Amino acid sequence: MPASSSLTCLVVDDQQTMRSLVRTGLQQLGFRTIYEAPDGEEGLRHMLSRPIHLVISDYNMPKLDGLGLLRAIRSHPPIQKTAFIMLTGRADKELVQRAVQFGVNNYLVKPFTVATLKEKIEAIFGVLA
Amino acid sequence: MNSDLAQHEPGWAAEPRKVHVIQGEFHVSNEDVVMTTILGSCVAACIRDPVARVGGMNHFLLPGATGDEGLRYGVQSMELLVNALLRKGARRDRLEVKLFGGAHLFDGLSDVGAQNSNFAEAFVRDESLNYVGGSLRGDRARRIQYWPISGRARQILLAPTESRVFAVEQRRPAPAPAQDAGALELF
Repeated sequence: MPASSSLTCLVVDDQQTMRSLVRTGLQQLGFRTIYEAPDGEEGLRHMLSRPIHLVISDYNMPKLDGLGLLRAIRSHPPIQKTAFIMLTGRADKELVQRAVQFGVNNYLVKPFTVATLKEKIEAIFGVLA
Repeated sequence: MNSDLAQHEPGWAAEPRKVHVIQGEFHVSNEDVVMTTILGSCVAACIRDPVARVGGMNHFLLPGATGDEGLRYGVQSMELLVNALLRKGARRDRLEVKLFGGAHLFDGLSDVGAQNSNFAEAFVRDESLNYVGGSLRGDRARRIQYWPISGRARQILLAPTESRVFAVEQRRPAPAPAQDAGALELF
């Protein structure tokens, strides 16, 4: 049973408002170390400079989108096993299937509740303490 | 022939096609259309990129209007519109935003319109979008027309009696925000 306070999370979304919402949800679940990035490129720089256990990333972003970030992470051995949850605007089957091919761990359709966020994270890490 | 007149007489030019945007929906276009909506306590964001010549309108009401759940729904509504604009070639740093609606139509009830207005203004500010005008709050329903390419907007305030009738019609429950559609069971 991992303690959520011991997990570091990176939230990647080009909308500051959405990043704040995800951050608030994570804080309600006990996460303490949360980083943010406005696009995939900056997200990847974060990944390469500090240990991250969980990435929650939007799909639609400038520079490097969510799928691009996922592919980049999976192709960098030091970080390739990082858990990755994709945020999508709708239940886009084709997008989710492509993300699955690239090794996504789960997906989250916006707007989502904190309970759903918890469910998706626990599906990866097990029940959070 | 009308088509000949339209060609030679600017005054006879065909009216742009009307697209009505109802609560919970949005529309984006780079064509000569006029987007319309009628707002009570709901808010419509009219956003365009003057360089890419594309614009759009949404129409939302925060369910419950308070707390994180309502906020999530509002953010989603704005994000869908902004992302649709970006997909049509708009750039975030060029977006021009106009906000309308958010009226308080019933005395004695919580001011849902103000909460919608506050959310919309906070979103524009937090996302560093360029706010270029609009009309929020007040006590009258509004009819809005928006030309997405020029960014021109026209507001017609409904008479108080019309506003009351409209408000009663609008008091049916807002559509619940789409939660995780269970259609995809991949995990």
